[in-house]
Amino acid sequence: MNRVFAIAQNTFREAVRNKVLYALLVFGIGVILFALPLGQMSLSEQARVTRDVGLAGIELFGILISVFIGVNLVHKEIDRKTIYALVPKPLHRYEFIIGKYLGIVATLLLMVAIMSIMLLAVLFAQEAPIESTLIRAITMLFVELMVVTAVAIFFSSFSTPFLSGLFTLVLCVIGLSTDSLRILIKKLPAALQFVAGFALRLLPDLRMFYVSGTMLDGRWISIHQGNYVDWSYVALATAYGMGYATVILLLSMWIFSRRDFI
Amino acid sequence: MSAVLKVEDLAKTFILWEKGLVRKKIRAVESVSFSVEKNEIFGFVGPNGAGKTTTIKMLMGLIFPSAGTIEILGRRLIGHKTVDIEAKRVIGFLPENPYFYDYLTGRELLDFVGRLFGIPGPERQRRIHDLLDLVGLGRAGNLALRKYSKGMLQRIGIAQALINNPELVILDEPMSGLDPIGRKEIRDLIVQLRDQGKTVFFSTHILSDVELICNRVAIVVGGKLRDVGPLDKLLSPRLLHTEVVLETAGERREHRLPPTEDVDAFLLRALSEGHKVISVTPRRESIEDLFVREVEQSDTGMGAQHKLGREARP
Ligand SMILES: Nc1ncnc2c1ncn2[C@@H]1O[C@H](COP(=O)(O)OP(=O)(O)OP(=O)(O)O)[C@@H](O)[C@H]1O
Ligand SMILES: [Mg+2]
Repeated sequence: MNRVFAIAQNTFREAVRNKVLYALLVFGIGVILFALPLGQMSLSEQARVTRDVGLAGIELFGILISVFIGVNLVHKEIDRKTIYALVPKPLHRYEFIIGKYLGIVATLLLMVAIMSIMLLAVLFAQEAPIESTLIRAITMLFVELMVVTAVAIFFSSFSTPFLSGLFTLVLCVIGLSTDSLRILIKKLPAALQFVAGFALRLLPDLRMFYVSGTMLDGRWISIHQGNYVDWSYVALATAYGMGYATVILLLSMWIFSRRDFI
Repeated sequence: MSAVLKVEDLAKTFILWEKGLVRKKIRAVESVSFSVEKNEIFGFVGPNGAGKTTTIKMLMGLIFPSAGTIEILGRRLIGHKTVDIEAKRVIGFLPENPYFYDYLTGRELLDFVGRLFGIPGPERQRRIHDLLDLVGLGRAGNLALRKYSKGMLQRIGIAQALINNPELVILDEPMSGLDPIGRKEIRDLIVQLRDQGKTVFFSTHILSDVELICNRVAIVVGGKLRDVGPLDKLLSPRLLHTEVVLETAGERREHRLPPTEDVDAFLLRALSEGHKVISVTPRRESIEDLFVREVEQSDTGMGAQHKLGREARP
């Protein structure tokens, strides 16, 4: 456990000493601040627009950061051969994966926290009410990023950085459009329907975590069509996300334990 | 004497896909067996592409052998796609051309590695201090590794290999890229480690280093083990030739006498003819000669493999 913690801490340290991370963070904050003049257009809608734009910004840049550091921090160890000094230590290879994952998740927690505080500050400046719904939306967003990170690590355990990043982003796009894809699948011939439906079920359903922008008002946030998000839904989505991330990480550990570091 | 490291029939075959289609096998290491005894300095010698690094990577559980066994202090290191981490506890390892986290300082790196070994805080700090002194980086400890020179990286690499006070120290090309003074310092350090009771296994292609400090050497060429033993036993005691330098009217000339020639008679004749004898040097086989002999033998026999290996390297 100490070893996992040491690796997680080192990963966190590497991430926060990385300049690209700050570039992404600055862009994310830029998007949130963008809501300031936008909101001025109509006073009544101001808070809603800010929340929508802000959450979308956190999600977009959260995903980019997850993919970037998820892929980068695993690959760098192999590319830079730092793993040659690490694997020979009394360390299980799966501990490396867990440590990396926890370190990256800690970094994301920090990034999401910074962006959320920016969003709250903007809302505060607009004298908009700050509701607990926002916390629910951000919680779900964070769980989404945990899933994306696990996927990024999974691809990194056997593929090149470019392909890992690409696959992960493609999976994010698919995962965010599961409902349109489901409609598409319904139009396929019956045999294909089954296969495609099954394949879709294997992919992460990121829409679970997606808080529908237009439905987000002060009191309620909703997901998909008209299902309101309460804490029990958040718990359900979190359980799904954690379960998915765990399975994906177990697979990554299995692959990682068997590969040669050449 | 007991074996600290015992390797039997170790082999590694890499599969390469040429243009993604043609499957090609590269036998990087073929049935290598040797054992390293307690408290010796064991040199693992071979030309570029001989399979030294591949062998060491197997010893460190970085790559899985295609065949063979590795025992460390009687513990089986590699099972089926598993590595015994207890066996790794007693090993210190320096990779070839080491790279470490360049965003860390030397001290941070040692601290991180110490924590991986579970060394408790105060003890860890003490060891970090001692090791930085030992490798001569006492004042560079708080400098980011990004700013280290190659020699400094090599030294911090040795320091991190020693943090767990290992019984067996495995170094892949510890002297590569160092200037003569740096190399001497590393050699002295290796001897010092042996004097502390540790066992050192290191790979190199710099023969003079081997000659100076190794108790025993293994010579590997083209993935195969050619010879193992104390250096003086491996070198043929046979006289190659005798070099005689004579001076005549201020002009020096070197004569090479074949081992069959009577050197005394040659000298008497030379003196009687008015030459001055400057030096007489019997030349026996040096480690370079042995090395060349081994490589040449493998080039004529199983040489294809070795050549292939050399091509694959830049
Ligand atoms: N990943 C790999 N895939 C295919 N062949 C490889 C791989 N790694 C090494 N080889 C081959 O295995 C042989 C041994 O390489 P190795 O790196 O072990 O040599 P070495 O003795 O350490 O050489 P050097 O003195 O240059 O460090 C070489 O022919 C090399 O081309
Ligand atoms: Mg090598």
